[in-house]
Amino acid sequence: MFLALKEFAHSKMRFFMITIIFVLTAWLVFILSGLGNGLSTLAASTFQNMDADYVIFEQGSQSSMSKSLLSNQLAVKAEQLPNVTATSPMGISMTTARKGESNRNEDKVDIAIIGINPGSFLEPRFVAGHGLSPDKPDGVIVNETLQDKGFQLGDTFQLDGSMESLTIVGFVENQTYNHVASVFTSLSEWRKIAFAAPGSDKGIPDPVNAIMLQGKDIRPSDIDANLPGTDTVTRGAATQGLPGYKEENGSIIMMLAFLLTISAFVLGVFFYVITMQKTHQFGIMKAIGATNGFLGRVILSQVFVLSLSSIVVGILLTYGTAAVMPKEMPFKLSVDLVIVYSVILLVIALLSSLISVRRITKIDPLQALGRVE
Amino acid sequence: MSKGLQIQNVTKYYGEGMNRLTALDRVSIEVEPGEFAAVVGPSGSGKSTFLSIAGALLQASEGEVRVNGKSISKLSARELSAVRLRDIGFIMQSSNLIPYLNVMDQLIVVKKMGGKVSAADKTHAHRLLDDLGLGSKLKSFPEKLSGGEKQRVAIARALIHNPSVILADEPTASLDTQRAYEVVNLIAQEVKTRRKAAIMVTHDERMLEHCDKVYHLEDGKLSLVR
Ligand SMILES: Nc1ncnc2c1ncn2[C@@H]1O[C@H](COP(=O)(O)OP(=O)(O)OP(=O)(O)O)[C@@H](O)[C@H]1O
Ligand SMILES: [Mg+2]
Repeated sequence: MFLALKEFAHSKMRFFMITIIFVLTAWLVFILSGLGNGLSTLAASTFQNMDADYVIFEQGSQSSMSKSLLSNQLAVKAEQLPNVTATSPMGISMTTARKGESNRNEDKVDIAIIGINPGSFLEPRFVAGHGLSPDKPDGVIVNETLQDKGFQLGDTFQLDGSMESLTIVGFVENQTYNHVASVFTSLSEWRKIAFAAPGSDKGIPDPVNAIMLQGKDIRPSDIDANLPGTDTVTRGAATQGLPGYKEENGSIIMMLAFLLTISAFVLGVFFYVITMQKTHQFGIMKAIGATNGFLGRVILSQVFVLSLSSIVVGILLTYGTAAVMPKEMPFKLSVDLVIVYSVILLVIALLSSLISVRRITKIDPLQALGRVE
Repeated sequence: MSKGLQIQNVTKYYGEGMNRLTALDRVSIEVEPGEFAAVVGPSGSGKSTFLSIAGALLQASEGEVRVNGKSISKLSARELSAVRLRDIGFIMQSSNLIPYLNVMDQLIVVKKMGGKVSAADKTHAHRLLDDLGLGSKLKSFPEKLSGGEKQRVAIARALIHNPSVILADEPTASLDTQRAYEVVNLIAQEVKTRRKAAIMVTHDERMLEHCDKVYHLEDGKLSLVR
């Protein structure tokens, strides 16, 4: 550490440049991961925060709510099956909420209507107002982001292309589906909206899109065997089945992977060039009696200090950026994510400096005496 | 077992087979504590090879080298590093200081190689530099020092671990006559007062007056001149 710090102090400019490169890389990594996290939250937070373990879909629906249609009568049967502790049906429709009678652009908001049984384990906890109640079938609890769009507690709104009107009785948080705010209502109300067109329920009694199951030890194959025409998957798999979710996440992860790989190379080359320039010095120190271990530690501690400070600056910049980002930007940085990517960056930097360390072990101390050319 | 440096029948070959070159041919020399020996010889005669072997930087092909009573012929690379650090002070042709360390830190870093640095080590380094007339330059970086000052720092660096053997490979090559005298004089003084065994390789006949013995190396063969 002694040598590492002394050298920083003496060649400020050189290390400053590398720090800048590293800071920019870290910044980009954090921003990208925050955006990825934000997007996937926006796409699936209702699913991610749901207190269910498994999901029963219609067979052949590719774990997608929009492709699946089942009868709720299956829920009763499912409840009898081994390891199933509770079941609850669910239906989802994408639609547009219209405030009042106006036709202005800003008064139309895309929403996801989610039909559930009031009081079931699928109903999220409200943060304002109160929860769903069977006495008020047109009452809805909605994601609090709708407040920013001008929706207040007690407001009534129309749905585009539907005669139904809904009244906001409560707000919930972190509930979005398919990038829009989730609006929870009773199943009966949802059916009126989803199957407004005659025959769109294909004649299925008590239609729902899926049945959510609780029970840690459920074996999906058991369920499928007992309920013909169904397909049971974990909640995680159901999340993957959300429209566009896999593709969206895949591209972000691809970008991050490329970014990290490229930065590993760039940093590795930088460290290597710096080490090469110091071959002579390292030779002298070896001639005086420094071991490979001593010199290796010099390099690693240098890279460690440099990486750590760059990552810290990168994190500060990222939070700074997040603070000035427009609110609609789907940016969500969790502490976990920041820690994970910090550690990844640190490990990458240390690994990429290992070639330099290897280089040191090969230096011949005789070089310092001007013998070997 | 006697201290100092003993080299017995050391032979060094470079290359293999047809290209084999005998750089040192059964060289023997013994330097006792407090003795300052000089090795002179034409270019290519094997002087640097000889000094590298004495300094645990290069292994001999045959023969034995004893530093401070301990044979180093069969040591691992790691153990050789330790011998170089503790028992040998090497003064190189050009001072070869580390550019980003000030005079004081040049010595401290050598201490660091051996482990923790205590306050006593610091006072020791300070006193050593004072003795060598560098008391006012403790915070200077090598780029701000004259050639003679740099070489004196290199001498201090070679002495900081209180080694039993001092080896100097043409320490005066980059200095003018005046400075060269000063530097050799300093080494001679250290050898006498601190009882070191020292060998200096040199081209410069004028530097020999400080030395107790003078050896001549030619075609890998060492002979006593004086
Ligand atoms: N690494 C090596 N591989 C092969 N031959 C070498 C090597 N190092 C030195 N030699 C040869 O060994 C002989 C002795 O070299 P050495 O460097 O010891 O001479 P020197 O007396 O120090 O010369 P100078 O006064 O020019 O420094 C020379 O003929 C040289 O070419
Ligand atoms: Mg030489």
